Amino acid sequence: MHTVAKLVDTSTCIGCKACEVACQEWNDQDFTISGFDGSYQTLPDLEHNFWNLIKFNELSREDGQMTWNMAKYQCMHCVDPGCLRSCPAPGAIFQQKDGIVDFNHDLCIGCGYCITGCPFDVPRLSPNSKKVYKCSLCSDRTAVGLEPACIKACPTNCLTFGTREDLIQIANARAGELKQDGHAGAGIYNPEGVGGTHVLYVLKDAADPESYGLPKDPKIPWTVSLWQGPVKWLGNLLFTGGILGAFFHYLRYGPKPTGDEEGSDA
Amino acid sequence: MQARPVHRFSFAERAIHWLAALSFLYAALSGLALWSHHLYWLATVLGGGVVTRWGHPWGGIVFALLVGAMFLIWARQMRLDSDDRTWLRHAKKYAVHDEAGLPAAGRFNGGQKMLFWGQVVLTLLLLASGVVLWFPEWMPRNFRLAAILIHPIVAAGSIGMIILHIYMGTAAVPGSFRAMIRGWVTPGWATSHHPKWYREISKN
Repeated sequence: MHTVAKLVDTSTCIGCKACEVACQEWNDQDFTISGFDGSYQTLPDLEHNFWNLIKFNELSREDGQMTWNMAKYQCMHCVDPGCLRSCPAPGAIFQQKDGIVDFNHDLCIGCGYCITGCPFDVPRLSPNSKKVYKCSLCSDRTAVGLEPACIKACPTNCLTFGTREDLIQIANARAGELKQDGHAGAGIYNPEGVGGTHVLYVLKDAADPESYGLPKDPKIPWTVSLWQGPVKWLGNLLFTGGILGAFFHYLRYGPKPTGDEEGSDA
Repeated sequence: MQARPVHRFSFAERAIHWLAALSFLYAALSGLALWSHHLYWLATVLGGGVVTRWGHPWGGIVFALLVGAMFLIWARQMRLDSDDRTWLRHAKKYAVHDEAGLPAAGRFNGGQKMLFWGQVVLTLLLLASGVVLWFPEWMPRNFRLAAILIHPIVAAGSIGMIILHIYMGTAAVPGSFRAMIRGWVTPGWATSHHPKWYREISKN
């Protein structure tokens, strides 16, 4: 089965924020009133009710002028999702066959482990419902053959929805165009550390994703992998070994003398 | 032959012990529910996932407070002396009922003292890491990354110790369960398991 993906061509993003508005509208979100922090960015960061943020990353150019490395930020829908690996509530986070990583809020217990397990710092705990929210890649739209709301709204075709295979090809072709246009460092962002992502980026400067607000080499945190792997197995061994050990100790050695047996001197 | 009972644990000691045991049982079962998806049915039994996530930290807080109470009433008596150290070196002999060469135990033997100090240390670690996991929205990321690993490791160690403690306090050492429920033991039991203690209290 083909998996779906979203492609963000940062070279054609004009920072219009139509995707932000479309996301808020489709997902019926209240808007968080934010302070002004001297940036064109809508909010400093993602919120439990704000899942799609254009980061206005400010850089100074060689000629001393300011430029933006604008990049849409949202759940990356990892092939190997850290949120899913750390979630203790079965079914609260699930990965669809089409690659979308989504939350079932009826099953979410609000522990926030997914927030810690996510290498992209995306999920957010709602102070109201005490459950965690993030971009669903509009699974409710894609399930009926519609494209995600953000992509529907994009006026420059910076955003594309399609199968992951197709989009990787399109992204590579676009990176090739950018190289011909003089952006020698152009390339795609599809980080290996999480098995690749279902949100792909074309960057003019692929060697420096951090200038776009994207982590350089995201990985599932080693403490989460260690806990979910060897620690669980050793712990299970300890529990069963402890119970079986006690049982067989009793079979082999029996109880301690009570001190009140016949012939004892007390 | 009906021997006169020897008073071993006061009502306060027994009450604190059993409140600690109940809160530990709840914290352990609700914690195991979140330990593995295969044990998540425990959360269903305990009122559902949301209730378990809400109640587990409170159960842990109650347990930690009771460990604090046990620390206050027992810490002095739990100090290890040279006999206890010798006892611990030969704990294997104790396990196979070959006690001829073992030093006489006081009110608590070396193993019980190790359980006490072990639980004190592990509970402090569980409390510290547990508070971090309780309020992820207020905690720095590095704290959360550490706590998500430390909490289950320490909890597994603590549960392992308590499995041993339950076995020792019930099947393995007859008479000890009654001591913690009713508060008394027989003179024979006291002589056989805690002779140094029995000699001391008989003097008075």
